[in-house]
Amino acid sequence: MTSTRSRISGYAVVVLALALVGGLYTAFAAPKPKADTGTNQSIAVKEGRQLYLQGCSTCHGLSNQGGAGGPSLIGVGASAVVFQVESGRMPLASAAAQAPRKAVKYDRTQIDQLAAYVQSLGGGPTLPSGPLDDGNLALGGDLFRTNCSSCHNFAGAGGALTRAKYAPALKPADARVIWAAMQSGPENMPRFSDNQLTPDEKKAITTYVRFITNQNKDPGGAALGHYGPIPEGLVVFLVGIGVLIIVTLWIGARA
Amino acid sequence: MATLVEKGASGAATWVDDRLGSSNFIKRSLNKVFPDHWSFMLGEIALYSFIVLLLSGTYLTLFFEGSSREVIYNGAYTPLKGIPMSAAYESTLRISFEVRGGLFMRQIHHWAALLFMAAIVVHLMRVFFTGAFRKPRELNWLIGVGLLVLGIVEGFAGYSLPDDLLSGTGLRIAYSIALSVPVLGTWVSFLVFGGEYPGGSIIERLYPIHILLVPGIILALITFHMMLIWYQKHTQFAGPGRTENNVVGSKIYPAYAAKAGGFFFLVFAVMAALGGLAQINPIWLYGPYDPSQVSAGSQPDWYVGFLDGSTRLMPNWELRTLGHTFSPNVLIPTQVLPGVLFGLLALYPFIEAKLTGDRAYHNLLDRPRDKPVRTGLGVMSITFYLILLVAGGNDIIASIFHLSINEITYTLRAALFIVPPLAYLATKRLCISLQQADVHLLHHGVESGTIRRLPSGEFVEETVPLPSQYSVLLATTPERKELIAHAHTEDSEPKAVAAKPRGFFRPRGGVVEPPPDHKELERTVD
Amino acid sequence: MSDSIRDRLKPAEDTPEVHHAEHPAGDPVVSTHHAYHPDLRNDPKRAKRAEIAVSALFLLAVVGVIGFVVTYIAAPFNFGTANYQTFTPLLGIFMTLALTGIGSGAVLWAKTLMVDEETVQERHHLASDPKDRAETVEILKEGFEESGLPRRSLLRNSILLGAGSLAVLPVPLLFGLGRFQHKEAVLSKTGWKAGSRLLDELGRPVKLGDLEVGGVKSVFPDVPGGRRMADSAALLIRMLPEDLHTSPSRKDWVQEGHIVYSVICTHLGCPVKLYEQQTHHLFCPCHQSTFDAANEAKVLFGPAARNLPQLAISVDADGYFVAQGDFTEPVGPSFWERKPSYSDKVGA
Repeated sequence: MTSTRSRISGYAVVVLALALVGGLYTAFAAPKPKADTGTNQSIAVKEGRQLYLQGCSTCHGLSNQGGAGGPSLIGVGASAVVFQVESGRMPLASAAAQAPRKAVKYDRTQIDQLAAYVQSLGGGPTLPSGPLDDGNLALGGDLFRTNCSSCHNFAGAGGALTRAKYAPALKPADARVIWAAMQSGPENMPRFSDNQLTPDEKKAITTYVRFITNQNKDPGGAALGHYGPIPEGLVVFLVGIGVLIIVTLWIGARA
Repeated sequence: MATLVEKGASGAATWVDDRLGSSNFIKRSLNKVFPDHWSFMLGEIALYSFIVLLLSGTYLTLFFEGSSREVIYNGAYTPLKGIPMSAAYESTLRISFEVRGGLFMRQIHHWAALLFMAAIVVHLMRVFFTGAFRKPRELNWLIGVGLLVLGIVEGFAGYSLPDDLLSGTGLRIAYSIALSVPVLGTWVSFLVFGGEYPGGSIIERLYPIHILLVPGIILALITFHMMLIWYQKHTQFAGPGRTENNVVGSKIYPAYAAKAGGFFFLVFAVMAALGGLAQINPIWLYGPYDPSQVSAGSQPDWYVGFLDGSTRLMPNWELRTLGHTFSPNVLIPTQVLPGVLFGLLALYPFIEAKLTGDRAYHNLLDRPRDKPVRTGLGVMSITFYLILLVAGGNDIIASIFHLSINEITYTLRAALFIVPPLAYLATKRLCISLQQADVHLLHHGVESGTIRRLPSGEFVEETVPLPSQYSVLLATTPERKELIAHAHTEDSEPKAVAAKPRGFFRPRGGVVEPPPDHKELERTVD
Repeated sequence: MSDSIRDRLKPAEDTPEVHHAEHPAGDPVVSTHHAYHPDLRNDPKRAKRAEIAVSALFLLAVVGVIGFVVTYIAAPFNFGTANYQTFTPLLGIFMTLALTGIGSGAVLWAKTLMVDEETVQERHHLASDPKDRAETVEILKEGFEESGLPRRSLLRNSILLGAGSLAVLPVPLLFGLGRFQHKEAVLSKTGWKAGSRLLDELGRPVKLGDLEVGGVKSVFPDVPGGRRMADSAALLIRMLPEDLHTSPSRKDWVQEGHIVYSVICTHLGCPVKLYEQQTHHLFCPCHQSTFDAANEAKVLFGPAARNLPQLAISVDADGYFVAQGDFTEPVGPSFWERKPSYSDKVGA
């Protein structure tokens, strides 16, 4: 039974691979979709479905039921697509403990189309329209320290989780990705629904994260990676003691 | 102009001497001789860092408010506006954002603290590996160990005072460690903190301890440390004309004083550079302490790191019996381990004297290679300490290199018991090899690079005699004399090389070839 | 060859013998005429060059000080203003310049222009003359005899007791540092009580349905100052009900896949708030103790020895989460008076 199924899925992979090659050709040959196609929802869904079949269905299944490599996408919502694709995590290059950030494969329009398609499958959280990072900075800081810093560190520099998993650094993430992460709870990250952190609160958090990772100008000089006392200790030995030993050698040297 | 200065100086000297009769003392002091070697200046780094700590710390007290009174922030740093916090944290923000140069002074103060501790440790290593702790200097060794421990206490208190998230996390751990003490734990922790954590008065209590009590004791001990150095005179390395009974070096006035004074400013300059250019303890990013918040990668300052590491590596042993809870998982890494480590460190001079039976005065320093066992023990201890220190940062390592924190912990647990003994054996072996290389050098000279062809057709490289500086180092300590004196005798191997080692540790090739003129050598050495 | 060896191993024979000096700290010094650096007194040209170099360094200090003062007065400093982040680095650079100028100038001065000859000073013998030592011991002994202490045992014992009792004096003062209280009782109690709603960090009560599966929320008891109570912080977790395994006695402690644990680590009290929603691991950032949130917060890894205490919750008529009571065991780290029976309840 199992072997039959695996043989079938083997065929399926071959077929899909062929479809992918063809699809890629079509994608490159076809003119780029215009930006205004996203305004028409049904067109966006259709375009998104094409993109899905070409780039995602290998793992997530032709009918979104999930597959060998990927989970079902029914009900994960547009946010999950925005997070995964816009941060370059999807499409996945190879299996790993955790999907790493990579170069982004799709442009913004394509991502919106993919998101519209996945959203059409079974609903789920979506990003609000309008600016996402003009919230209350101080509230955002407090919420960040309560909900986020325990994994992502006080300055969003990231941190270790169990067994080689990690909470990534937040600097490369833009407001959309941060927002989408909170909504969709990718991989081991908890999910923060809108009932739990209201859009205003999410906006505050996004604002604060963007502040500490991008607009923050460290007033005290080099930030040493925002990793806290460990790089400070390294610096005091490598730079402090190191330079001073060279100085003592100079003072002690005989002409 | 010159005469005016001279007149003024002599006038002042006369005025002082009339009242104190100090000329004799000053004359003698200015004539004092200090041996010079770069490694003798490592302790000075600690001394100068302490002076900078006193200066910068005094400046900070003018603005800092050591109080846990709750206030709502309304200062210059907008990302914290409206957040409740303690007055201690608020005043630290004020120092950082509203006092001109306040952040600079804060950072200099913190860097100076890290440098103070680092210099103490490096100085300690120098004293250990050269045997400078031996009679008559055991007292000064003890004072030094005391300063090390007090430095850790003082540093931890300072780390805790700003009442930021990292401070509070550290204090909570300290409270919990106190809580784990059998029988007395709850009493100790409640009395220190003024009740169940956070207790509401720990900042108020730490403040006078940090700015008065502990620095006062440190200052007194440093003074005593220096007086003993002055009185007992500094040790020196063996060298031309240097014996156990003299000191060879420069007179303290003027050249040595100028160098030492200049060095103070250079040490200060390093702290100023770090204080200005490298951000340390950005408390505004940590946020005010809130018992329900925490940051990933919460760490103590480096000098407490080894205790954090031991705590992380410890298995979760706990005993619950007879109506009580007993926590070896906390006690062993945080109390037993530092107790044993600092105890052994303090007693080391006495242990070594007891084991070697050496009760003589030692003013000449050892070269580390001449004491393979001591050097091996030293490297073993450093390795042990380093593994604990690395364990204290296992999460940062895991985070940066995307490694499994669990695997790192398992590996370090094993390494803690396997690597230090290996380090001991390797170091001891290396010392012996270096000794042999020295003996070889002494007997054969340095390779000149000139190849000569012998009549037999064989090629040999010519050697030249050692530069004098070199060779004297090889022969002045008792071990060296013995090494060289015995090098040529077939039946008795040199004691320093062969007394302990066996097998692999036996000198390669047994004995060293006698030098052509060993009789001459022997005569000169004796 | 033999000459060179004699040179190499030259002992202290060219050191003039100087015998024990009167003043310990002031033993006479004799120059060996080995200079640490070339004597420039007879080389005015190099001496002049050295003087210029040293003076230049000293003047560099003035540049540094001027830069420091100008920065201090004129550079942008207020948070948020343009380039305010250059203020501290500039102060650092100029102060470093000033201090390096003075420091390296002084060292260079000593290394070039000052006469610096290697000098030999005899060490004095540290131990006193045996005769002096014996006399001192004798005086001490005599004084002890004269005090009458060795003979009068009542006096001896009473002074030992009297002086020893002084050690007790500070003890009551130390007890002034905290109130007398029953430690075990205090440590066993938190802010939670029956019917207390679960408030979030902004003080709003949390409702059933606020959290999605895979969501977590920091919750605090509905009492004044609940958020700042160091022993009461807890974490509400929602997972699929089928993922959640509780012992029969705790069946009613959870609500539709919602479960609440104390976040105070049972090891050393750090907030355990790193939740991995797929593995259900709770991970402590301080010492890496890992707990299984799906299995009554059982310890999976690290130095913690006990499960995180669980808070029994139910849902009130308005759909809000409420606590059924306080934790049934003291939260946080172990202490001597903690009864082992608390932990026996786990999994019972």
